[in-house]
Amino acid sequence: MSYLGHVWVHLRKDLQLEWRSRDSINGMLFFSLLVVVVFSLAFDPTAAMSRQIAGGILWVALLFASITALNQAWTREQRNRVLEAQRMAPSPASALFLGKALANLLFVAIVEAVLAPLFIVFYNLHALGQGWLFALVMPLGTWALVCNGTFFAALGLRTRNRELLLPLILFPISIPALLGMMQATTGILTGEFDPGLWIRLLVAYNVAFTTVCLLLFETVLNAE
Amino acid sequence: MKFSWIFNGTLEAHHLAASYLAVWLIQGGYAAWIGWHWMHTKRPSSAAEPGLFTSEDDS
Amino acid sequence: MKRSRILGPVGFVWFVATVGIIAYATRLALFVAPTEATMGNVQRIFYYHVPTSMLSLLFPYVNFAASLCYLYWRRRDPLKALTADAVAISSAEVTVVYSSICLLTGMLWGRAAWGIWWTWDARLTSMLLLWLLYVSYLMLRKLSSTGQTHTLAAVLSVFAAIDVPIVYMSIQWWRTQHPAPVFGGGADSGIDPSMKPAFWFNVLGWAMWGIFILLLRYGLERRRQESEQDAALQAIEASLEIAQ
Repeated sequence: MSYLGHVWVHLRKDLQLEWRSRDSINGMLFFSLLVVVVFSLAFDPTAAMSRQIAGGILWVALLFASITALNQAWTREQRNRVLEAQRMAPSPASALFLGKALANLLFVAIVEAVLAPLFIVFYNLHALGQGWLFALVMPLGTWALVCNGTFFAALGLRTRNRELLLPLILFPISIPALLGMMQATTGILTGEFDPGLWIRLLVAYNVAFTTVCLLLFETVLNAE
Repeated sequence: MKFSWIFNGTLEAHHLAASYLAVWLIQGGYAAWIGWHWMHTKRPSSAAEPGLFTSEDDS
Repeated sequence: MKRSRILGPVGFVWFVATVGIIAYATRLALFVAPTEATMGNVQRIFYYHVPTSMLSLLFPYVNFAASLCYLYWRRRDPLKALTADAVAISSAEVTVVYSSICLLTGMLWGRAAWGIWWTWDARLTSMLLLWLLYVSYLMLRKLSSTGQTHTLAAVLSVFAAIDVPIVYMSIQWWRTQHPAPVFGGGADSGIDPSMKPAFWFNVLGWAMWGIFILLLRYGLERRRQESEQDAALQAIEASLEIAQ
């Protein structure tokens, strides 16, 4: 089977498992909604101010929501010693990682698709800049979070405080990407500056870290 | 008398003194921490030599 | 053992020299260097703050190199890999110590000289992020299960090393786009020649101290590792005796 064939098998497995329970997606959706409401209470923005802060709030909400999903991204593999089987299987380890990361990307994308109209409603938003750029920023930003998140969730597989460890190591590494996605979103919404620089940063970040994740996943899987 | 600046001194003097003291405390404290742990780690016997488990043992 | 016969005296001489140089440099900084025109005496914090900041940017590279060596030797030569790992954790801890001092002295200086404890300018934010990255490295080492710690930490170190330049660039762009007050003058403010001796002696002294403390921590880590090897060997031998 080709490499992409392996990736597809892993991806399909995760999508099927998630579809049966829909735990992750429901949890993420509700969590993001709650975060949005809490931030609105905290800042109570006017229309002009909401364009300045909506970008930041959106990505903070998505960040926290993805953490809740990523925390149990690998628990499926731990039940019934599936992980040992994965290690012994002839498929390349990075295919397992890629399949799972793509599945997570899809889940977070579904959450975004629901969240975006809510944002527009809650903050009375309309983009003053080039709105079509969102089609670039959203996937790039989401992939930056999900790729590193899936990798670090695997790092924490056998640690004591797994749920605590993931945000502790994910957030510092992700800060340039977070800055990029928040600034790009704010740039598009306010139209005050060109988001191009930040989009280029996101592309560079994604290329660099996707490569590193793919190369180092086998080491992490066989860490003992 | 010489230390009246501690109580009557300016903010600048306090911060200057605090900075230098903080550096000595942090660096010295870290060194002391290492020293304390050195004392409380069992001394490895000389039997544990680096050459013990190399692949040259396999014939 | 052969190596400790020269190591002890050399280490002691180095330590004495380091403390001597730091004492001399401190004297220069506090009493000999001229008082700065605008800020007054509080500017003397600069002589500890800036050398420490410069040095805190070097130790991460040591950590990165050691982590790469660990990953390379992990399967090929496990004993060499252990020494690389000992260097990795030592340099990470020293990085955190030095960057903590940089942040703390910077805040004390900022409050006294400019009235604010903090500002999100390029340099401070980048330094804070460096601190966060290496604290997260130490947390991973603490929380991960034994047996895996070395490998996982080495992997995280690779991520951190790749992240550092990206962080630096992105924060620069952020602050170019949204300027904020800058601590300590712009990038082109140079050092007056009369201040140079105090400055450079502090750089030398704290660099020597950094090397000393790194090697001390490395020695502690090796001592711990060998102690564990001893215990493991004894456990194996005990189980072999029972089997007979």
